[in-house]
Amino acid sequence: MRNRSIISNEGSGARINVTPMIDVVMVLIVFYLLVGQLAIDRKAAIELPMSSTGTEETQDLDPIIVGITADGSITINGEAIENERFAGEIKGMHTRNPSTPIRIRAHRLASFGVVRPVMHQLRDAGVSAVELVTEHRP
Amino acid sequence: MSDVQPRKPKPLNHRNVLTQSGRFGPNMTPMVDVTLVILIFFMASASIAGHEWFLSAQLPKEQTEQESSGFSLPTPMLIADLYIEQERIMVRGIGDEPRTLEAVVLQIRSMNEDRASGLILSIRASDDVSYESVVALHDAAASVSMRVAIR
Repeated sequence: MRNRSIISNEGSGARINVTPMIDVVMVLIVFYLLVGQLAIDRKAAIELPMSSTGTEETQDLDPIIVGITADGSITINGEAIENERFAGEIKGMHTRNPSTPIRIRAHRLASFGVVRPVMHQLRDAGVSAVELVTEHRP
Repeated sequence: MSDVQPRKPKPLNHRNVLTQSGRFGPNMTPMVDVTLVILIFFMASASIAGHEWFLSAQLPKEQTEQESSGFSLPTPMLIADLYIEQERIMVRGIGDEPRTLEAVVLQIRSMNEDRASGLILSIRASDDVSYESVVALHDAAASVSMRVAIR
């Protein structure tokens, strides 16, 4: 039976077998790389406004995330959508799952003239409340 | 013929990546160093990245005096109008005179929370006001447990 100790006694000197550690470390690195990439994709490079109050994220329901960039481009759950199609799309999603929370991730420097039409379309689709996503200011 | 001895295998030549202590195999120490540094970098960057918070806002329907819709805002309500004047963001509707956003934010934050929690702040803003300014006013209202509606 082969020696399974982490200290190898073969040869002249004892050596630590680092292979398991490297395996674990590599898996952790790949994990962080993937999570970071997914987070970047989802946030779509939107710079959020700061707030000192608010509620922290709860994972009870998978929310619908509406992104608004500074130039007025709209995304739903990270996928770009034409402004003309937004109302119909969000109405369909809200009708299918009325209890799903809707979060607005708007660029902090976007003018309210860009954000307001999106809110009005949400309201017209039957959405009575939204969550504005902000970055926590400690 | 039977005297022929089997040839002994020649020992491998040592290269730079091999240890010089008589053992074969690459020196893993630099790779372990680098991978641990990368791991710490990712862990640190993940923890430094700011947490996201959520401010709840109601989206009330526009209501006329005669109309009573399914979703209506109860009173009492403060209506704040944000607009830009002389490159400053002003707020009309809270207090007697229009004041700067910073002054209104300070006033709201100094309100008694017990009284403020029964109020609704309805925010309206002109097109040129930044979303960040609307959120700043919303943040101040939420800090004293005031509910917020955005029109």
